[in-house]
Amino acid sequence: MRKSVSAMLLVAAMLLMAALTGCGEDKKPAEAPKAEQKPAAAPAPAAPAKEMQVGFVYVSPVGDVGWSWAHDQARKAVEDMDGVTTSFVESVPEGADAERVIQNMARKGFDIIFTTSFGYMDPTLKVAEQFPNITFMHCSGYKTAPNMSNYFGRMYQARYLTGMVAGAMTKSNVLGYVAAFPIPEVIRGINAYTLGVRAVNPKAEVRVVWTKTWYDPATEKEAAKSLLDVGADVIAQHQDSPGPQEAAQERGVYSVGYNSDMSHFAPKSLLTSAVWNWTPFYKDVVEKVRKGEWKSGAFWPGMETGIVGIAPYGDMVPQDVRSKVDARKAEVVAGTYKVFSGPVKDQNGAVRVPEGQVLSDQDMLGMTWFVEGVVGSTQ
Amino acid sequence: MFLPRVVKRQEPLQWGSFFIFAAALVVSLGVSCALLAVHGKPPLKALAVLWSGGFGGPFALEDTLLKSIPIFLCSLGVAVSFRMQVWNIGAEGQFALGAVGATWAVLAFPGLPMWAMMPVMFLCAAIAGGLWAAVPAVLRLRFGMNEIISTLMFNYIGILFLQFLVYGAWKDPTSFGFPMTPIFPKAALIGPIAPATLGRVHWGLAVCVGVAVLLAVFLKRTRLGFELLAGGENPRAARYARMPYNLLVLLVMTLCGALAGFAGCIETSATVNRLQPSIMVGYGYTAIVVAWLSRLRVGSIACFAFLLAGLRVGVEHLQLDLQVPAAFGGILEGMILLSVLAGQFFDRYRFTLKGRS
Amino acid sequence: MDMDTALLLSILAATVQSGTPILYATLGEMFTERSGVLNLGVEGMMIVGAFTAFLATHITGNPWAGVLAAGLCGGGLSLLHGVVCLIFQGNQVVSGLALTILGLGLADFLGTPYVGITTTGFQAFAVPVLADIPVLGAIFFRHDAMVYLSYLLPPLFWLFMARTRPGLALRAAGEHPAAASAAGLSPVRIRWCGIFTGGFLAGLGGAYLSLAYTHLWTNNMTSGRGWIAVALVIFAFWRPGRAVFGAYLFGGVMALQLRLQAMGANLPSSLMLMLPYALTVLVLLASSARGGGRAAPAALGVNIEPEE
Repeated sequence: MRKSVSAMLLVAAMLLMAALTGCGEDKKPAEAPKAEQKPAAAPAPAAPAKEMQVGFVYVSPVGDVGWSWAHDQARKAVEDMDGVTTSFVESVPEGADAERVIQNMARKGFDIIFTTSFGYMDPTLKVAEQFPNITFMHCSGYKTAPNMSNYFGRMYQARYLTGMVAGAMTKSNVLGYVAAFPIPEVIRGINAYTLGVRAVNPKAEVRVVWTKTWYDPATEKEAAKSLLDVGADVIAQHQDSPGPQEAAQERGVYSVGYNSDMSHFAPKSLLTSAVWNWTPFYKDVVEKVRKGEWKSGAFWPGMETGIVGIAPYGDMVPQDVRSKVDARKAEVVAGTYKVFSGPVKDQNGAVRVPEGQVLSDQDMLGMTWFVEGVVGSTQ
Repeated sequence: MFLPRVVKRQEPLQWGSFFIFAAALVVSLGVSCALLAVHGKPPLKALAVLWSGGFGGPFALEDTLLKSIPIFLCSLGVAVSFRMQVWNIGAEGQFALGAVGATWAVLAFPGLPMWAMMPVMFLCAAIAGGLWAAVPAVLRLRFGMNEIISTLMFNYIGILFLQFLVYGAWKDPTSFGFPMTPIFPKAALIGPIAPATLGRVHWGLAVCVGVAVLLAVFLKRTRLGFELLAGGENPRAARYARMPYNLLVLLVMTLCGALAGFAGCIETSATVNRLQPSIMVGYGYTAIVVAWLSRLRVGSIACFAFLLAGLRVGVEHLQLDLQVPAAFGGILEGMILLSVLAGQFFDRYRFTLKGRS
Repeated sequence: MDMDTALLLSILAATVQSGTPILYATLGEMFTERSGVLNLGVEGMMIVGAFTAFLATHITGNPWAGVLAAGLCGGGLSLLHGVVCLIFQGNQVVSGLALTILGLGLADFLGTPYVGITTTGFQAFAVPVLADIPVLGAIFFRHDAMVYLSYLLPPLFWLFMARTRPGLALRAAGEHPAAASAAGLSPVRIRWCGIFTGGFLAGLGGAYLSLAYTHLWTNNMTSGRGWIAVALVIFAFWRPGRAVFGAYLFGGVMALQLRLQAMGANLPSSLMLMLPYALTVLVLLASSARGGGRAAPAALGVNIEPEE
């Protein structure tokens, strides 16, 4: 019994100290908290009226050369804007912890908070309701509030184009796709890739292996190898690690990258990559908020804005393939070609999009079925 | 030669655990700070941020209290089984199954009013978590299977089972295919006690208090509870005294599973409002640290659960303010546990400089 | 060679590869347990090994420096377990758990800046002559140097335990420390050696993940392999030969579950990923039912009290 008492006393003492430090903290005026703050006051006379603080919440370490890395490149560009400071928290688990992290950011007076993973949707919404004066931007979800937008990019357009390249380069007509989690974003990418493959090579099939990981090079590389073992000769992936690329290069077959240009990981194997470029979009949001022109909504910009694209082709891609893909790219950018335009059949051969129709955004966002030509489970 | 010699203490050190914990805390904070300094972060400022983030102010205390609720419930169960020398490290998986059980109740009987929904939810969570813990117990008693490994493997399997459900049959048709169940109906949501004064602190806290009181009464006032304590302190003697050892092991494991199940139920209903894979953040493992630090005593568990929850919350501020990786929390936890373990030596032994007699 | 045979061979070759890190860790833990100390911190020592191997290779450019660093750091971390259990008489179960928590935290904390970098590491090469043996050559002799190194360990382990004086002393410390002490040995000193060697090998197992299996580092890349190793020690009845069997069994299941997906088995991926863990339970159940627990060193997990 005495021991519990002593432990309680200890906690009581700590609480007292907490109260004291709390008071001490209050007396200090909000001195610039960020070590990385730029030398303030740009010499330009028309300096922006307000110092903006922009926060980013990432689901994985920024070094992962994948998803969070792509967002962080844009954060650095935002940091370089006049009168803007940024901060970020990485490896934030989705769920209850995320809510607390976002809330802490809000309490510290950030003006805009970007939350960049699907699992942050409900937490972002909850915090947004408590802090109506702060702008929240949630990536890859579907909920909005007066001060919260959701946004994403039409990555499937880039996926489709990389699929065309892969479909033209395969010899075995078996393509492998190492995929993270069976969620619509990933399924949509696999479908678009497969449509691209079969647009140039109707006999080809795409085999899918789920790893249930975003960044686990060992598992992801092994998954790529397992696809190679069943005869795949082009490996594409929806992961944050270059593990699949490594496996492809070691076996001397081709691969397609994702997130960023992965050519330096596998120069001999990489055909091209489907890449993100968040910079223009993020700068635009910050500008709009500063000018008071920001409005809540659901933003889903595509290739025409440059938010998604394909990285330069590898040397092995022949000229006729390049020109074919470039021509289709021009049509996608111009809006004259839609990736999910009918007829599109699903895995079982049932028509999902009839001839002459285009799949709605709503249906694309909630995609849980595979198109014809994909071999694998959607769970 | 007068080398220091180890001598067994005649009676336990007075106020021992307090001194040991304080010393261990100083040691582990010191080592961690050295690490920070090597990393090029200001160690003292980091400590201040850690402190104010976890305990300094009403928001911090609210966050910490919320986080300590699931940790507390899990470690109660872990502590009881550790007392029996049953090394159940499966609270994480039992937490997952509790969440699954509660969610099943909500999905199966969506129309129940709150007064019926809550007991059904908690009952299902306790049954699911309890059964998940009872299986390794039976395996140990029947086949002598090592429960450390079996409970740990059941953690992995339980979490994957949760994923299997949420990615499959339980997926919300209106969630655009994302892996989560629908948001629970109002009747299935554990609400805040007093939003105006206590913020987001919810009725799960009351459950904690209730469970703790019941458990304390059970351990101190019933024959079975007494046997449980005695059985743990000396299993061989307990067996000679014809205590129902097998029954006790089964009981503590199931109890632990049920308590972790409660935690899973509360976390799902009160914090996340639906079942999704991201509810798993390692409370079950923190619970082991808490259970051991508190020397398996109910009162101390509350304190240490609060303390470690504060540590976890404070680490997030450290990341936001100083870009210190969140893994710092793990280092602190591991160091504290190791140094407390080492420090407990002085509870039983002392050094003397006297020569051999 | 037709498609199916080729696929089978590639699965078996992948089995050896994914079994290797587990084999290192299992043998390490077995060594420690033979000396009477239960160290549940394998997962922590492995991840620290994986990180330091990557870091040292990244700095020096020589993967063998990485292997050495991994062994030393894995062993170094295990010495903390020695301090707690051998000097301060702490509970071995809890100390091992703490070591896992600490190791995972340390590696993650120090390793974050190195996520996303590739390093040189080990490359596969065919062993001359041996690689041309039909079937066996394709399965066993077209890997990297660390796999070949792992082939030497089980026989060495057995020789050491069964045929050498220090091996006998180690077993004495694990079976009957008081008798060992009476025979003029120092069981505590022997246990220090047992703990360090176990940590060294666990570190090597981690190094395999970041230097050979892939050439990348990430936190949590051990993903439970350390715990599987602890289970395999029990499964193997503390004997190195059975450890090889167990480690490859696991490697096989890990390799197989991904290939089942690749072949188009239409099963939910969560269930497939459960396979290795479910197998651990079954394997352990089988060996426990056969009385495997009785093969444990008699003084396993029991601290040696300081003399008054």
